[in-house]
Amino acid sequence: MEINTEREGTLLVARAGGRLDSINAREFDDALKSAISDSDQVLIMDLEKVSYVSSAGLRVILLTAKTLQQRSAKLLICSLAEPIREVFEISGFDKIIPIHANLGEAKASIG
Amino acid sequence: MRASWKYKILVVDDEPDLERLMLQRMRRDIRAGLYKFVFAHNGLEALDRLKEQPDIDLVLSDINMPKMDGLTLIEQIPKVQPDIRSVIISAYGDMKNIRTAMNRGAFDFVTKPIDFDDLKLTISRTLQHLVEWREALESRDKLVALQNELGVASKIQQSILPTRFPDRPGCRIFANMKPARNVGGDFFDVIHLADGRIGIAIADVSDKGVPAALFMMSCRTLIKGAAIGKTDPGEVLHEVNQLLQEDNDAAMFVTVFYGVYDPESRQFHYANGGHNSPLVVHTDGSSAELPLTGGIALGLMPDLDYDNNTVTLSPGDLIVLYTDGVTEAFDEQGNQFGTRRLQEVFAGVEPTDVREANRSVFEAVEKFAGETPQSDDITCVTLLHSADGG
Repeated sequence: MEINTEREGTLLVARAGGRLDSINAREFDDALKSAISDSDQVLIMDLEKVSYVSSAGLRVILLTAKTLQQRSAKLLICSLAEPIREVFEISGFDKIIPIHANLGEAKASIG
Repeated sequence: MRASWKYKILVVDDEPDLERLMLQRMRRDIRAGLYKFVFAHNGLEALDRLKEQPDIDLVLSDINMPKMDGLTLIEQIPKVQPDIRSVIISAYGDMKNIRTAMNRGAFDFVTKPIDFDDLKLTISRTLQHLVEWREALESRDKLVALQNELGVASKIQQSILPTRFPDRPGCRIFANMKPARNVGGDFFDVIHLADGRIGIAIADVSDKGVPAALFMMSCRTLIKGAAIGKTDPGEVLHEVNQLLQEDNDAAMFVTVFYGVYDPESRQFHYANGGHNSPLVVHTDGSSAELPLTGGIALGLMPDLDYDNNTVTLSPGDLIVLYTDGVTEAFDEQGNQFGTRRLQEVFAGVEPTDVREANRSVFEAVEKFAGETPQSDDITCVTLLHSADGG
C-alpha cells in the first residue's frame, strides 16, 4: 500500500491507489498516519486511482476524519471513480465527508 | 529468579580433564553470560541432570562412557526433554558411530581432540537452530489457539442467526450467510412482531474478524430490542444508531436495512442506514432496486434521522435483500458481480420458491467468482409473497 503525498503549506494532498479493503486497511491507516503532520490543517485524499473501497477502507477514512477533527483540521475527498462514488453515497459517507469532483475543486473549496 | 545466562549446556564425558578445559576455554562466553555449563560423567547421570534442570538447552556428549554410553543417551534424551538439541563428540574418523548418533537424532558432531574454535561454532549454530525451532513452535501454538478461538466465535455467531423462517401463504422467507473468514461481520434477523407483521433486518459491519463480530452481536441485540418496542423502521434505526455511536472509539460502523412487512396489506415499510438497496423481483422476472431513503451507516455520529419509505408488493413479488459480498464479489479478471448480474439471476423466470431463489444467488456468485477467494461475507435474505400457497 503506497500513498503519494504533496504538501503546500498547511495543506496535505494524499494520493492512494489500488484497493482499499480489509486486507490492506491497516497498511493504508499506517501510511496515512505517518504522512500526516500535526501542522496540517487540511488533508485532501485524492482517490482517483482507487479501484475498490470496502467497509474496512471506509472505516480508515472515517478514523482519519475523526482524528483531524479533534484538532480542528479537516478531511476532503476528491476524484472518485463512479463505483467508488456509489459506495460513498449508499453508505451515507458523502454526507459526513465533503466530496469534490477533482483536486482543483477541492482546493477551491478551502477558500 | 531469571537466569543470568542465556543458554545452559550439559557436557557429558567420563574424562575428568574435559570439565576444567571446557570452563577455561569457554570462560569469555561464560563471563559474558552467554553460556552456563553443567557436567555429567555418564549417560545415566546426564539423564538425571536433564530431569533436575529442565532449562538445559543443549547436550554435548562423548560416545564411550561407563554405565550408559552416548549413543544410548542420545536415544533417551527426547523422552526426558523433547525440545533440546544434542551434539556428539567422537573419535576422529569414527564414521560408524557418528552416523548412528545422527540417525538417533544428534544435531551435529565434533571430533576429538576437540578444536575449540570449531566447537564454539557448532554450539552457536545448534543453538541458533534451536531458537528458530522454538519460535516456530510458539507461533504454531498461537495460531492453533487463535483458530480455536475463532472457531468458537464462529459457532456462537452462526447459532444466533435464525434458522426457522415464516413459511405461509403471503409470507415466505429464507436467509443464508456464507462468512468469508471464520467470523464474519454480516448478519440478518427475522423478527415476529404484533399483528402478524414481520421485521427483517440485514446488516454489514465494517471489517471482519473478532472485533467486528462483537460489534455485530451488540448491534443485532439492539435492533431486536428496538424493533419490538417501535413500529417505525426509521425510529428503530435512529435508536440503534444513538446507542451504537456512544463510546465507539474504534469507529466501527454498520450498514443496516430494516423493513417491516405486513402480509395482510402487502405493504413493506422500510428505512435504510447506508445499506445496499434490496431488489424487488416481479412475476415476469423483471426487477428494480427499492428507492434509497438516504440514511447514513449506524455508529458514526449522534442524532441521525432515518427516513421511511413504503412499497406495496404485487402478488407473487420477491424481495431480495443482500450485502455487498454479493455485488462486490470478484471474478478471476477482477470484475465485480454488480447489481446487473444479480438482476440477471432472476431475469425471465417467475420466482415461486423462496429457498430456490435464495440458493440461485449464492450459486451465481460462486460460479462468477470461480477460483477467486471470497473476500467478504455473502448474505442474502429472500421474502416472497405467494398468494396461491405454492
